[in-house]
Amino acid sequence: MTLCFRKLTPLFGAEVTRDGKPLDLRQVHDRATLDAINVAMDEYTVLVFRQQPFTDAEQSEFGERLDGGLLGKTVYGGTLSSKQMGSPNVRDISNVDEKGEILRADDKKRIYQLSNRLWHTDASFREPVGHYSLLSARVVPPVRADTEFADMRAAWDELPAQVQQQIAGLKAVHSIAYSRQLLGFEFTPDELENMRGAEQPLIRTNSHTGRKSLYIASHINSILDMPIPEGRLLVADLMAHATQSRFTYCHEWLQDDLVIWDNPSTMHRGRPYEDGKYKREMRRLTTVEMRAA
Amino acid sequence: MTVSFRPLHPLFFAEVTRDGKPLDLRQVHDQETLTELRDGMDKYGVLVFPQQPFTNAEQLAFAQRWDGALHAKLGSNVVDKKTRLGSPALGDTSNLGMDGKIRSREDRHRLYSLANRLWHTDASFRVPAGRYSLLSARIIPKVRADTEFADMYAAYDALDAATKQQIDKLQAHHSIAYSRQTLGFTFSEPELDNLRGAVQPLVRTNPRTGRKSLYIASHANSIIDWPLPEARLLLLDLMTHATQPQFCYSHDWRDGDMVVWDNLATMHRGRPYDDINHKRELVRVTTLDADHVPGSEAKVLDDLALV
Repeated sequence: MTLCFRKLTPLFGAEVTRDGKPLDLRQVHDRATLDAINVAMDEYTVLVFRQQPFTDAEQSEFGERLDGGLLGKTVYGGTLSSKQMGSPNVRDISNVDEKGEILRADDKKRIYQLSNRLWHTDASFREPVGHYSLLSARVVPPVRADTEFADMRAAWDELPAQVQQQIAGLKAVHSIAYSRQLLGFEFTPDELENMRGAEQPLIRTNSHTGRKSLYIASHINSILDMPIPEGRLLVADLMAHATQSRFTYCHEWLQDDLVIWDNPSTMHRGRPYEDGKYKREMRRLTTVEMRAA
Repeated sequence: MTVSFRPLHPLFFAEVTRDGKPLDLRQVHDQETLTELRDGMDKYGVLVFPQQPFTNAEQLAFAQRWDGALHAKLGSNVVDKKTRLGSPALGDTSNLGMDGKIRSREDRHRLYSLANRLWHTDASFRVPAGRYSLLSARIIPKVRADTEFADMYAAYDALDAATKQQIDKLQAHHSIAYSRQTLGFTFSEPELDNLRGAVQPLVRTNPRTGRKSLYIASHANSIIDWPLPEARLLLLDLMTHATQPQFCYSHDWRDGDMVVWDNLATMHRGRPYDDINHKRELVRVTTLDADHVPGSEAKVLDDLALV
């Protein structure tokens, strides 16, 4: 009854089965299996589980069983009334409104979510930061609407030694307002006050494996103790390096897929699709990092 | 006595010599050679001419002899009323202040110049846009301080058919203020008023060769008739595509190099170096796109007359 991991790329990512079949995560309660998944998360950083017909409550319970603390109310900066469905921790990432209709092109929620197409890692703008994200595919469109992942351990490993040395002690300011402003989104002063962001090291070390990863995101607004232009140019160079195709895996969603990723050691982004034409409903749960960075 | 072009990259960028020796551009006046050089520009996008000891006056004269009218309203002139080089057509690509000393880390002009490290094409924020830029190496530091180029013919060719169709008729608004703002630079209202930008097609066709090129830059702020977030995401995807390593060549400068690039067919960026400890001085002259047809853009922002 051991878990089987099929690698998705030479560097990271694996699809998980048991005895050649999908395992039903709703039924996984034993510590041995949960620990095996956690160990695999440290090794592969992105795990794909097929055929997981979660409800929001089941998804939330599983996330808590696997990793403990959940990220509470997701930050919309008070600009949107988030749809609460079954569990306050589960975030609705879909292109439909409360009535199940496809969002209009100028809908504020839709425009806000477009920023998910920028490379990022979840909740790097908060303290504690996001640890695992569990994304459940409830309604998958008939066209490709992929999520792309990048391995930030490999990105770190392949930086020239001189750059590794240069950035070793640096800290970045991450702000969700900043990544939205990049796309022209505007906030009121009150909203900005609620979205001040967090300072994070540019490099993280996994406390179990000792592996280092580059910790960057489109949320980075500045590097501490560096003039803003220099900081942003440094981040742009790191971003271009870290998102080269050899570090990435593009996930093509199937109905009821659950994908779990480790935010401190990966980045991800949504890829464009005809969202004015096809419904796509996803639910995301994010855990918080309890362990020392 | 023919000019020879030695490609330095599989796609573009060639070194030019004549009879195995450097060709002294100061002495090139005959239309035949100038036409040969233009054909080389159409083919390679970027040409490097070794050992060209230009003075500023000689560089201005050669650029006009070869390609006509000069771009005389550089973005940096808005920030600094007085320029170190004395002519509005001479772009000061150095890390030196008016006193000839290296600018300090927090110097406003230095921070402004850092934006040249973003991928761009010269004077896309003007109508007519810049065509050739001629960059002459006067002081080259001991450390590498490259200029990197990207081939926008190849970038266009490598786009998938659906994207080509999607962008074929689109126009982008380019503004030098925008590329600076993305790096946190702020402008006063009068400065912004002088930097309103221009509308340009996303795809250009070279009228002599018929080749299409992707015309983007970090100056591109929005796409006409598109919502802003979608426009910025499309521009970002195009930028990522166009600057993949296989389309790029990084030039390691030698004393006396003159590098000329076609802004309508390439992008470029300066690469970082220790500019606090090493002097570096290059002088740039940019010509105007002489093939520009007035009114050819659907919308042209109210732009200032050229100086």
